[in-house]
Amino acid sequence: MVVMEDIRARAKELLESGKVRAVLGYRRSSAGVLAEPAFVTAPEDTAALVLDATCVENLALYLVNEKKRQRAEKTPDTRPLAIVAKGCDSRTINVLLQENYIKRDEVVILGVSCENGGVIDTKKLNRALRGKPATAASFDGNGSVKAVFTGGETAVPAAEVLADRCLECTQAYPSVSDFFFGEKESGRTYNRRFTAVSAVADKGMEERSDFWAGHFDRCIRCYACRAVCPMCYCDECVVDSTNCVVKATTTADEKANRIRWIERSVCPSENAMYHLVRAMHLAGRCTDCGECERVCPVNIPLRLLNTMLEREALEMFEYQPGLDPEQPSLISSFRDGDPNDFIR
Amino acid sequence: MEVILKKDRLGEWAAKLGEGADVFAPAFVEDCWAFTKVEPGGEVALDHGNTVRPAKGFVFPQREVLYRFSQDSGGAPRLTETLPDDPRAVVFGVRPCDGRAMVRNDKVFTCGFADPYYQARRERVAYVGLACAEPPSPNCFCLSVGGSPDAEDGLDVLMTELDGRYYVKALTAKGKDIVVAASSLFSEAQPADRSEAESVHAAARSHPQRSIAAMDKVAEGLKRNFDSPEWDALARACIGCGACTYLCPSCHCFDINDEITSRSPLAGERVRTWDNCQFPEFTMHTSGHNPRETTGARLRQRICHKLLYFVENHNIQQCTGCGRCITHCPVGIDIVRIANVMEEAAGQ
Repeated sequence: MVVMEDIRARAKELLESGKVRAVLGYRRSSAGVLAEPAFVTAPEDTAALVLDATCVENLALYLVNEKKRQRAEKTPDTRPLAIVAKGCDSRTINVLLQENYIKRDEVVILGVSCENGGVIDTKKLNRALRGKPATAASFDGNGSVKAVFTGGETAVPAAEVLADRCLECTQAYPSVSDFFFGEKESGRTYNRRFTAVSAVADKGMEERSDFWAGHFDRCIRCYACRAVCPMCYCDECVVDSTNCVVKATTTADEKANRIRWIERSVCPSENAMYHLVRAMHLAGRCTDCGECERVCPVNIPLRLLNTMLEREALEMFEYQPGLDPEQPSLISSFRDGDPNDFIR
Repeated sequence: MEVILKKDRLGEWAAKLGEGADVFAPAFVEDCWAFTKVEPGGEVALDHGNTVRPAKGFVFPQREVLYRFSQDSGGAPRLTETLPDDPRAVVFGVRPCDGRAMVRNDKVFTCGFADPYYQARRERVAYVGLACAEPPSPNCFCLSVGGSPDAEDGLDVLMTELDGRYYVKALTAKGKDIVVAASSLFSEAQPADRSEAESVHAAARSHPQRSIAAMDKVAEGLKRNFDSPEWDALARACIGCGACTYLCPSCHCFDINDEITSRSPLAGERVRTWDNCQFPEFTMHTSGHNPRETTGARLRQRICHKLLYFVENHNIQQCTGCGRCITHCPVGIDIVRIANVMEEAAGQ
């Protein structure tokens, strides 16, 4: 069992000893049902750390963002960051290590196993409550989640509100950690891996095309999916209008005629282009933390795009991202036996 | 003009209005409430919370073509005017916070210079409000920013749900028109109906909401704490997406681009699209210098625009307390909490 006091004590000890510059964890939020990311720097503030089914965020994002922040500082604090990481989050850290975005000694991983089956999906909770926002949610010990909302509460079977990635998770404990809390449990899956994606991928091409056209039509291009993705760490992105190097000698004409792969307009072609480019850039890198899908305000099932590529990588190349930081990356390696009949 | 509509006749009203206009009402689509076109014979239930996307898009769409241009090789460029000519629209189920937000948007788009695109749409869209019997979201705070669950400003009609019927108050000429268009469905409101509506409003106002404790001191607090390191701490978790502003009923910033539809002969459109102060490139200069380099500086801009600059320019808060930016923030950034923190902080 994960004992919260053990995590708090370890976090406190790391801060008191000065071994880390901050602990990235979760605390209760004034904004709603989900816990929020906490950057704890004062040892006494570790008392506010929590860990439960509402701790959905993949904090590995902040290893990336803090690295960028550090690069902009004149005299950065170079001590490592401690981070609370669930199984899926730890696999993200492994990919960041594999890609040399961070080094192993820059992070102290407080790995936690997911108990009771994982974390909740606020969209499913929304469905169960018909759009009424929940104010609290917790496992009730009988295989259900108790959801509290203004004016009442209700119990929903866990399998109906757990995130799809949790239902399909095959390893609900960290692949890498410095301190480990909980047990290495396996065989707790609700659904077989790729259940959700199979339901869509196995349909005909026209049906799939309509499915995605309908979803992309709602996209408002707030880029929350890109912003929340720890793998989307490029300094310049293909969708941004600033992806053109401007020098003192760059003329106004050159600026006006810069290449724009994707226009600012929100319309079917540009929306589809954005999502498909992003999905392709995550092939062999996405560790299925599900954050893109969670943060989408208009509920586009983005995880399906990434799991589709994850399934291809597994079936064609027996490749799984995030299990081992030493493995060669999918895109930059090949084996003699790799299938190549799709190259024409 | 105050009239009574039996609840089971709401669909007939919508159908009648549908003869001369597009009718929209909230529907629960893909697990969220969204203003959705009511097809002929379709149902209108008005049993929604608040919609995820606000009502501003009917008047200020995310993409607006300003004009078309074309040029034959060697010829002079030709510009073609493209003022909006969409059919009239009636939008049901607008919450009073979204109505009040339209008053803010009117100020931006009509003060000093009247934006013809905005004006043309505003005249063609009628907002039929629905008073909140209880806060639709745990993050509602309209009372803190001068609003109320039965605020009328910005709306053309305000409906209040009573027992088995709606108390319908036409607030503008446009509002009267859409009531008169279906006058046979309504009966005149009696004093008893009016007092029942008033008690519904009073009960809604006494419902607990989230609260900015000393709103009158927030603008001063924001000014005092402009250089506070607290901004960086508050924005530490900000991921820099645009969910807060794109879902905000009163955010109105836009970008303008030329989009080429044909290279030869040259043809294209000048397009206005929503833009977003939380994106790093929003303030990026062509030199590469960015005056709002950090998430802290960008969060400060958003909050100060809502609760300080707009107050200085127009004497009202721009924020109308719908709570969407809080509810839909992926990492829990909370304007109510920030306003309270900045009001209380002593300053640097």
